[in-house]
Amino acid sequence: MTAGYAGKILRLDLTNQTSSIIETKDYEQYGGGHGIGSALFWDLCADKLPFDAFDPQNVVTVMASPLSGTMVPAGGSRTEVQGIGAQGYPTQWFCRSNFGGRFSGELKFAGWDGIAIEGKAENPVWINIIDDKVTFEDASSLWGTDTWATQQKIWDMVAAGKGALGDWLQTDTKLSSGRTTQKPAVLCCGPAGEAMLKELGALIHDAGYAAGQGGFGAVWGSKNLKAISVVGTGSVAIADPNALIEARLWSYNFCPAYGEPGKGFYGMAPGGNDFGAAKPIPTATSQNVGCMNCNRICHGPRTADGIGNESHCGVPLWYSYGGSPEESLLAADIVQKYGANYYPMNTAFKWLIALNEMGILGKGMQIDTELPLDLLLSGDSKFVTAYIEHLIAGKDIGLDLKDGNVSAADKWGRIEDLNSGLLSHSYWGWPEHGYDARCQVEWGYGSILGERDINEHEISFGFYLPLIFNWFFGGVPITAGECADIWSEKLVPYQGDPMMINFATDNIYSEHMVKLVAWHRHYSRFYKQGLGFCDMSWPNIVNVNAPDNIGISPEGESKFYNAVTGNNLSFADGMEIGRKIWNIDNAIWTLQGRHRDMVYMADYEYESGRGGWGAYNPFGTFYPLPTYEDGTWDFRDVAGRNIDRAKFDDFKTLYYGFEGWDVNSGWPTRATLEELDLQNVADLLEAKGKLGGA
Amino acid sequence: MTENKKTNDISRREFLKDAGLLVGGTAIGSITLLGACTEKEVVVTQTVTDMATTTVTGPATTVTSPPVTTTSPPVTVTFPPTTVTIKEDFSQTPPAKAYLVVDSGKCGGCQTCMLACSLVHEGRENTKLSRIQVIQDSYGHYPDDRKTYQCRQCVFPACVAACPTGACNVDTANGNIRTIDESKCIGCQRCVAACPYTPSRVIWNFETLKAQKCDLCANTPYWNEEGGVNGKQACVEICPQKAIQLTREQPSQVKDFGYEVLLR
Repeated sequence: MTAGYAGKILRLDLTNQTSSIIETKDYEQYGGGHGIGSALFWDLCADKLPFDAFDPQNVVTVMASPLSGTMVPAGGSRTEVQGIGAQGYPTQWFCRSNFGGRFSGELKFAGWDGIAIEGKAENPVWINIIDDKVTFEDASSLWGTDTWATQQKIWDMVAAGKGALGDWLQTDTKLSSGRTTQKPAVLCCGPAGEAMLKELGALIHDAGYAAGQGGFGAVWGSKNLKAISVVGTGSVAIADPNALIEARLWSYNFCPAYGEPGKGFYGMAPGGNDFGAAKPIPTATSQNVGCMNCNRICHGPRTADGIGNESHCGVPLWYSYGGSPEESLLAADIVQKYGANYYPMNTAFKWLIALNEMGILGKGMQIDTELPLDLLLSGDSKFVTAYIEHLIAGKDIGLDLKDGNVSAADKWGRIEDLNSGLLSHSYWGWPEHGYDARCQVEWGYGSILGERDINEHEISFGFYLPLIFNWFFGGVPITAGECADIWSEKLVPYQGDPMMINFATDNIYSEHMVKLVAWHRHYSRFYKQGLGFCDMSWPNIVNVNAPDNIGISPEGESKFYNAVTGNNLSFADGMEIGRKIWNIDNAIWTLQGRHRDMVYMADYEYESGRGGWGAYNPFGTFYPLPTYEDGTWDFRDVAGRNIDRAKFDDFKTLYYGFEGWDVNSGWPTRATLEELDLQNVADLLEAKGKLGGA
Repeated sequence: MTENKKTNDISRREFLKDAGLLVGGTAIGSITLLGACTEKEVVVTQTVTDMATTTVTGPATTVTSPPVTTTSPPVTVTFPPTTVTIKEDFSQTPPAKAYLVVDSGKCGGCQTCMLACSLVHEGRENTKLSRIQVIQDSYGHYPDDRKTYQCRQCVFPACVAACPTGACNVDTANGNIRTIDESKCIGCQRCVAACPYTPSRVIWNFETLKAQKCDLCANTPYWNEEGGVNGKQACVEICPQKAIQLTREQPSQVKDFGYEVLLR
């Protein structure tokens, strides 16, 4: 067994309440996380596709990586969740989400590289994993309980008879029995998931780590699976311990001094997020927390009054409709406890307000509702509770909204709102994340060529965030041309082409942008969603905290991976594995019915320009990106432009051709699949009449 | 064997936070474990007849360890005849020359210190084998939501006092660090139970069946750095929050006052 891996994957059959073992060595070629998850999904159920998210045939994988439970900075603490997600509309694609915290580490310490969940339990269950001992437990007393209470109850149940929480807790009575001071790591769904709210049902771990997007909480709810708890006391083998700790210390050369203002926003910086609710330096009332083995400590703080604990990024900020900051934090707690994804609520609330102002939605209006919109308009967090409860109960307009916002628009005959951007769900029915597809096109293209709003910030962090946080802290330390030079050197295996980061309008449909999108998809699939390198830190290309602004990528990824596993993987080798995983994903979508004719964004991306209704953009309408125009590089504002339909269609042809896929259908081809040693994938596609022809 | 010249009776009383252990015996010859008790105190009574190191061979012994926690059952172990070296007089135990201090309120809860500790000492990653422990509660109120528990290198080391074999000892060659010679450890867990703090700062390595404790990185076979009181400590070096520090000034021994400091 290769170092870094636990060696086995837990296979849970909920229908028959049995568990078995899958040998990890058969899947090591896919790296970990997303790669192994996709390969497992393919092997366990791809031949049965298509089916929907709530079909018991749906297999949900919960994967760690070889880096989980090791001291790789911002690496491996993510747990990747995959399966047919409930959130997409009208098609529920095979999709992904992930979450941080300590679950993946504990899973590895328990001796598991991941979990594959199959079937559906007859009654609610939770899974209790203590090292290699796995039991199915009755969850009837937990069903209906919020995510925080659920986890605390499970902590007590697991600890019962084994010791006191906070002391050394023994897993058994033998001298050789494992011991731990750590609380079980629990992943669970809340009432939103139990009610199978397709867009809102999230999975929550600890207070504020969430697999929010994808609707996997709803999938767990459909499977009568309330929670998985894991306690691990074993070890993760490391091929070269000295190289690993030295690499970690080396990575600190790419960080500013602890707490240095203005430099902690992105990349390798310790102390985390300078903006929002997260503070790098402890205050009298709060201090950030970090995922296991992370150097950034960027997750939301725990607070003196316990309100808003661990909520991160937009979660403690999104509910800002005129209420107090405390109402915003209370709203964060509400969504965490219900296990509810806030993003669709954010777009929904803006949409509801607009419809109300238009005299369409409200008490006695065309879309009649008793929902207390006055509470929403005053920023009272009680509206969030009322809204979620309406959806759970399926009452009032909650009956229409429980399957998602776009589904409700369809029912209400208001698809025009999706076309105008009043309802800003850009891709496959998913809400946009605030990164404008028309400006930052690699985000938009990657999303629509995939299955979801990608929520991958590496290009954003590389370009415009240095610019923005220097607005706050003075001076732009790097020019767009210097940015282009650094990116050009680091975009292995396509290095040497600075036009890959030229976001000028005349370049965003070019073969250069094709290469950037392909690089982005392959990198994310292997390094980020596969090995668990965190989106908040990796890749680290331009780094204003490092000498000459040159970041730790791509050297860092390989250095850490090889120190842990003992393999000799080059960065380009990893990118090739990413390409392989991307091909498996496309094969799954193909079996679900994907065709290039379906691959288009919501109409507003082509027509409305930035600044339309419902657009969530924390930076307003200003969207500076590096462009090369009139012979010079500069950060220029590209906000306000639209995607050109015909040119984007041509772009798809270029892209499919670059990936070696059928340009007419977008389906994988045998030649490409066999080049990637995926003959079995080609065979099944061919048997199903879905193999691309050229 | 050195001839005994004098007798020195020592009686010490330490109050414990959790499970206690009543230990009585003599420093030379057989050591008797009188048994577990529920008292929250430990009484170490020792008759020392020689300050010098003494080597003896003890008989095969069967002992029943006290519960490690208040709810775990006792464990019975039979040890073969063992040759051990008896340690020096506690009253003459020199204090350690360096100590770890922490700022729990600054800690980010990432457990990287724990991962670093197990990596450099054991060559593998296991937070449960770490000699420093971070315990946190996602639902707690700051700053009571997190706490870093490091070995205090106690002036009076109850772990050393409890060790029947001299495995747990004061390493005078390495700045008087309270450490464990695992080659001498017979796995009785008495040092684990004797630590008066919760959780015990002496770690039970359930993989090797030996006790281990913080040695300020004096012995890190998997890290090519000089550790100990004059060197580097993995947890100090690795903490991204700089919430762990080495000090050469002896901290106050009363509760946490000396060991929990502001590092901001």
